Amino acid sequence: MSRKSFPFRSTGGDLRDLDHPGYYAGLSTLAQKRSWDEATRRAVTERVEKTPPIRFFSEPEAALLDAVIDRLLPQDDRSEARTIPILPVIDERLFKNALNGFRYENMPPDQEAYRLGIKAIDEMARSRFKQHFVELTVHRQELILKSLHDGQPDPEHAVWRRIPVHRFWALLMEDCVTAYYAHPWAWDEIGFGGPAYPRGYMRLENGLPEPWEKHEQRYDWNAPADSLSVLDEQGAPPEHGSLHGHGGSH
Amino acid sequence: MPHRLGPMQTLPSPMRRFAENETVDYCIVGVGSAGGVLVQRLARAGFRVVALEAGPFWDTEKDWVSDEKGSHELYWNDLRITGGTHPLALGSNNSGKGVGGGSVHWAAFAPRFHPSDFRVYTEDGVGADWPISYWDLKPYYELLEREIPIAGPAWFPWGDPHGHPYGPHPLGGVGDVLVRGCTKLGIRSVAGGPVAILSASHGDRPHCIYRGFCLQGCKVGAKASTLITHVPDAITHGAEIRAHSMASRISLRDDGRVDGVVYIDRDGAERFQISRAVIVAGYAIETPRLLLNSACPGHRHGMANSSGTVGKYLMAQAGNVVAGRFEELIRLYKAPPAHALSEEFYETDKRRDFARGFAVQTVGPLPVAFAKQMIAAMGAWGWGLRSVMMDYNHWATIGVLGEILPWEDNRVELAEEKDQFGLRVARVTFNLHDNDKKLIEFGKKRVTEIMWAAGAQQVVQESRFAHLVGAARMGADPATSVVDKFGRTHDIPNLFICDDSILPTQGSANPGLTIQALAARTADYLIRQGDAIFFSNYRDLAEPGIRYDLSPPYTRFKGIPRIA
Ligand SMILES: Cc1cc2nc3c(=O)[nH]c(=O)nc-3n(C[C@H](O)[C@H](O)[C@H](O)COP(=O)(O)OP(=O)(O)OC[C@H]3O[C@@H](n4cnc5c(N)ncnc54)[C@H](O)[C@@H]3O)c2cc1C
Ligand code: SF4
Repeated sequence: MSRKSFPFRSTGGDLRDLDHPGYYAGLSTLAQKRSWDEATRRAVTERVEKTPPIRFFSEPEAALLDAVIDRLLPQDDRSEARTIPILPVIDERLFKNALNGFRYENMPPDQEAYRLGIKAIDEMARSRFKQHFVELTVHRQELILKSLHDGQPDPEHAVWRRIPVHRFWALLMEDCVTAYYAHPWAWDEIGFGGPAYPRGYMRLENGLPEPWEKHEQRYDWNAPADSLSVLDEQGAPPEHGSLHGHGGSH
Repeated sequence: MPHRLGPMQTLPSPMRRFAENETVDYCIVGVGSAGGVLVQRLARAGFRVVALEAGPFWDTEKDWVSDEKGSHELYWNDLRITGGTHPLALGSNNSGKGVGGGSVHWAAFAPRFHPSDFRVYTEDGVGADWPISYWDLKPYYELLEREIPIAGPAWFPWGDPHGHPYGPHPLGGVGDVLVRGCTKLGIRSVAGGPVAILSASHGDRPHCIYRGFCLQGCKVGAKASTLITHVPDAITHGAEIRAHSMASRISLRDDGRVDGVVYIDRDGAERFQISRAVIVAGYAIETPRLLLNSACPGHRHGMANSSGTVGKYLMAQAGNVVAGRFEELIRLYKAPPAHALSEEFYETDKRRDFARGFAVQTVGPLPVAFAKQMIAAMGAWGWGLRSVMMDYNHWATIGVLGEILPWEDNRVELAEEKDQFGLRVARVTFNLHDNDKKLIEFGKKRVTEIMWAAGAQQVVQESRFAHLVGAARMGADPATSVVDKFGRTHDIPNLFICDDSILPTQGSANPGLTIQALAARTADYLIRQGDAIFFSNYRDLAEPGIRYDLSPPYTRFKGIPRIA
């Protein structure tokens, strides 16, 4: 199955094949790489040019997780050539068993959590809609995933008694954003200036762009109108007791 | 190629190497915020010192990048288990690995503790008192502020008011929001520091270039880490820093004194460093872990643990992040994340229904960290996440830094699971208590008000915790603490602990400066005691008197902006 889920009636949106989504037309962080230091240039260039092979997940598992990722961090508006790889980055982390320094006492190790979690997602799809997750309409896929997001798996599945669903959700989401927002194309999308050594930044206040950055040019942005993953202004997440951020800040 | 420590600085070479079976005076475990200062002082005073560091010896030009994902290796990524009612996120949220330790990826906020922090029990009837007062530590604060050195406002109005040797930094977008919001509400704030970031060049370190990657390790060398402030001087004076050396056990002699450290080298081989005294400086998790893993006859429940308090009274600070979306652009990725703060709510206020308080500080998450915050704070996913991230440049983030009291049930123990070396890993348990919860609620509310006052149109918040300290606390009473006021374990006369695990309470100030000040004071004590440490069991509790002749180069002739 292709990554593209549109045009799909249930999402309705008119998503264009964009090389550069976001409000910063013309911004290219990569075009600045002459101003970066050697080590950074190497790390970022490699990220863009080399996509790691799938080694941890089996083929069906990879297809399944890929379909899940397409809904967790949809890229339907991006052109095929400008799609940011997420699955291969997660696969590589799990293949190398690269840890993030801790595990919740009620969570299995990451490798196991992934295998069990995505299997459960597929079984939920089969029991609710009599189809594999990858075969579901986008809307139905979102229904399943939204129930995990809300912490109320529908239908219930034994795995979620073993793995706290909000922890699994956080694991999945954090791995997705770690791949996506580490990519220079995503920096161009959100207007982040990117690496800045040895040149540095000069315009610190008032949101001013550096000479090589771009001004924001806003336009009405078209997420599929009936997607379940649009922001719900009232929908601050339920306090999961202890779901909290994992990034360092101060 | 020389080993680089920044664009201008190189590692002194060659470094002294002690032979396999050579006895050294001090073996230090961990070269982080505390270990770096300690090894420098002891080497300058002429002791033979080896410092074991589990992580690599960074070459900043080769190993560090201006990139979030690429900086993953700066953190302690090995397995730890976390639990309790409010499990702490560890890894990148807490501790470093490699020479410089946590000072490599800290945000470098460098406020002092307040005088009241040392007397929390006396003043509020909660927490604990320190066995020393603010005034014992004050000369060390002043000295370290010049050694590091600290940039900040000329007038820091809270606690013991003081100024800073280097001038303040310019404001970034987030600092502007903090100062605007606070001013609207009549709350005092300061801008441009105090931070351990150079606002002007210092020796062979250039000033800040405002690139905002402080948490990824400062390639510029503007942000202080002990890797660049103290370790080079240690090496010049004959210390050996042995990287990729993971201490697995402290070795005890029949006479109840320690005689060295067993460690695992880069190739996985077990080795022994024999030494006349041992200092553990491994951070609030690894220090108690090492002591517990060193259990042996006579120390069944862990080394130096006759009080049963090793691992207990672990603290974190509440680190809630309040994010506000503004109509105008902020671009929060520019300037150091740490650059403006208020300590107006630091002290106990009898009108509130909880003891102690919190600070308000700028934070500056880069895209990946910000996306994680939006997942936690807004439940964002899918298209919602994509769209809120497209507004990245419209958001400002301000942190609460709240004091959480020391509780016995917040602790580090050993889990059954083992790490790659076959050593039992740490299990960290963290529960919030009533006072903590009230304080966090209040802090969140006040910072949210500041955000609205600054003109935000939408405000959300994410709960988190920062800065682990405690778990091997100092105290006057051997029955309720692990070390005395100089970091010497009550149980073993030649075993010391010198890192953030000895803090009895932690106020609402970031702990880094205090940790380094304590390390310099412990060093002065050891130097003053001389060889007595190596054979005598006599415990001298007299203050050593501060030494001004042991600082790294470029310290002298800087002012101490003391405000009368
Ligand atoms: C994202 C982030 C931002 C922060 N910002 C600030 C801030 O703005 N201001 C502030 O004051 N503080 C800040 N901190 C906290 C600060 O970094 C720590 O409090 C401080 O570094 C702790 O010092 P330490 O000497 O106790 O331990 P560390 O600096 O962590 O040093 C311990 C060292 O010991 C080594 N080690 C551990 N066990 C062993 C072993 N068994 N064998 C060999 N070596 C071992 C480790 O590898 C490490 O290098 C921040 C922390 C984080 C994570
Ligand atoms: S903002 Fe300044 S201190 Fe921080 S990493 Fe950049 S140059 Fe270093």
